[in-house]
Amino acid sequence: MAIDLDTPRSEPQHVAPTPITITRDYSTPDRIFRRSVQISGGGVFLLLVAIGSFLAWYGWPAFETAGWGFFTHSGPVTPGSSSGFGVLASLTGTVEVAFVAMLVGAPIAICTALFLSEYAPLKTRPTMIAMIDLAAAIPSIIFGLWAFFELQPNVVGFSTWLSRHASFIPFFKVTSPPLNASIFIAGLVVGIMIVPIVASICREVFSLAPAGEREAALALGASRWQMIRTVVMPFARGGMIGAVMLGLGRALEETIAVSIILGGSYKVTTEILQHGGSTISQLIATNFGSGGELGLHDLLLCGFVLFLLTLVINLAASAIVNRSRSGAGVDL
Amino acid sequence: MTTTLPPSSAPTDPDRPASFSGTHVLGEPGQIDADGVCAWFGGRIVLESVDLVMEKSKVTALIGPSGCGKSTFLRILNRMHEVVPGAQLAGSVELDGVDIYGPGQRAMETRRHIGMVFQKPNPFPAMTIAENVLAGLKFSRISPANKSDLIEESLTKGGLWNEVKDRLGELGGALSGGQQQRLCIARSLAVKPRVLLMDEPCSALDPTSTLRIEQTIKEIADEVTVVIVTHNMQQAQRVSDYCAFFLAEENQPGRVIESGRTEMIFGEPTDQRTFDYVNGQFG
Repeated sequence: MAIDLDTPRSEPQHVAPTPITITRDYSTPDRIFRRSVQISGGGVFLLLVAIGSFLAWYGWPAFETAGWGFFTHSGPVTPGSSSGFGVLASLTGTVEVAFVAMLVGAPIAICTALFLSEYAPLKTRPTMIAMIDLAAAIPSIIFGLWAFFELQPNVVGFSTWLSRHASFIPFFKVTSPPLNASIFIAGLVVGIMIVPIVASICREVFSLAPAGEREAALALGASRWQMIRTVVMPFARGGMIGAVMLGLGRALEETIAVSIILGGSYKVTTEILQHGGSTISQLIATNFGSGGELGLHDLLLCGFVLFLLTLVINLAASAIVNRSRSGAGVDL
Repeated sequence: MTTTLPPSSAPTDPDRPASFSGTHVLGEPGQIDADGVCAWFGGRIVLESVDLVMEKSKVTALIGPSGCGKSTFLRILNRMHEVVPGAQLAGSVELDGVDIYGPGQRAMETRRHIGMVFQKPNPFPAMTIAENVLAGLKFSRISPANKSDLIEESLTKGGLWNEVKDRLGELGGALSGGQQQRLCIARSLAVKPRVLLMDEPCSALDPTSTLRIEQTIKEIADEVTVVIVTHNMQQAQRVSDYCAFFLAEENQPGRVIESGRTEMIFGEPTDQRTFDYVNGQFG
C-alpha cells in the first residue's frame, strides 16, 4: 500500500489542560481541631480590633471637646477640666523612658544571652538560665520598690556627674534640680526589668544557630568571636529584633514601677535627668477615677494613643524581622 | 600564591620549632604524626592508642565501621574535637614536628594550617559564592593581593569554577548539595592549608558529585596532604595512597587494626578482621 506523503495529516485537536478540583475531606477530629484553632486564632485578632474600637469610641467625646489640641497640649494635671488637657508631655515621656530603657537594657540583655549560650561553663549554665527566667517573673512593683529605695539614691550621683560633664548633650542638661524621680531613673528601672525577658528569648535564638556552620567557621580558623559574628548573630538577627521589640513593648506600657519613680509633672521636656516627667500609662494609672466623665474619656483617649503607638512599633518590628535574612549582611 | 602568617612567638628550641607560624609557610603540604592518641566523650573512652603517620602530599583514607572513632580521630587532628562539650583526649599530634597541642599553640592557628571539610556541606548560606571562598582569609585578617585570582584558583581546584564563574555574586546556599560541598572544599583550600581533613565528604552526595570530588582530591594531593574518612570501600581504593582500618570491638574503644599502603590493605591484609571488612564480610 502506498503511503500518501503529500496530504498533511490532521494533528489531534489541542485541548487546553484544566486543573482538577481536589476536594478536601477532613476526618471529624481533624475538623474539630481545625475549627477550634480557627476560633482561637481569629478570636485574638477580634480582641485586638475590639480593644482598639472601644478606646476610640469612648475617647471620642474627649477629642470632640479638646480637638487636635489634645495632641499638642500637655496638662494641666487634672483630666476632665475642659481647658486644654493634653497627652503631649506624657507621650514624649513614654518615648523617652522607653528609649533610655532600650539603650540600657538591650545591649546588656544581648550580652547576657551570648554569655549564656556561648561562654557560660556547661556545669553552671542550666542554673544561670533558670535564674534569668526566674528574674523575668519578678513583678514590676518589686522592681519599682527596689529602684525607689536602692537604685535611685545611688543613681542620683551619676546623674549629677552626667549633668556636669555631659551637658553639651541636650538630654543631659539640667535647668531645675533636684535630680531624683527623673525620666532617666525610670528608664533605667525599666531597662533593668526588660533584661531577663529579652535575654531569655535571645539565648534561645542563639542556641538555634546551625552547628554545621558554627563548625565551618571554627575549622576555617575563626576565633570564637568571629564565629559568633559570622554565624550566630546573622542567624539570630530576626529573633533578636523580635526580642528587643517585645522588650520595647514592655517598656512602653510599664506602669507601676514608673509611677513609683516618676515625679509626674506634665511638661514636655528633653532634660531627662531632672525631677519630673510622666508617661501615658503612669498618667492613666495615677489619674484614674478623677475628673468625672470627661476625665474618663480623656484617659481612654490617652489609652488609644498608647495602643496606636505600640501597634505601630510592633508592625515596624515585624517588617524588619521579615526583611532580615539569616546570615545576611555580614561584614567581617 | 603563598601567604605567610605573621610570627607569633619565637621557637624555644632551635631544632624543634615551637610554633608553625614563624617557621612554616602556608601552602606547602605537611606531614602529620599522631602518637598514642586516645579520646573520651563524657568520661567514656572511645579511641585508644592510635599511632598513625599521614604522609606529606599523600591521601590517607581512614576506614572502618560506624562508631569506631574515625571521625573523632580526624577531628583531633585539627583540634575540632575540643569544641564538643565533655570531650577529652590524650597523646600528641605533630604537624611537621610541632605538637599542635603543645603549650602556646592556638587552636585557631592550627585550624588555618589543617583545614576541614565536613560530612554535610556547610557553606555560609547568606554569603555569596565569592565571599564564602574568602571567608577563611577574612578570619585570619589576610588580604590577598588579587582577590579575583584567588577566587578563581580556589574554585578551579575545588572543581567548581566552570559552573559558577558567571554567578560568583549568588548566595552560597543557592547551590546544589554537590556544588555546596565543592564550594566548601574551595573555601578550605583558599587559606592554603598544609593538610586537608575530609570527614565523609561524599556521603550526602549523588554519584556524579562524588566522582567530581574524588577527581578534586586527586588533583589537589600534590599541594596538600589529604586525610579522608570514608565508608565507601571503592572510594578508599580509588583515591587513597595509604589506608588505616579502625575497629571498635564490642564494649571496647576504637583502635587501628592495620594500616599501610592501600593496595596492601585491600590486596593482602595481614589481619583477618581487615580482610573481612574490606571484602564486605561485616560493617
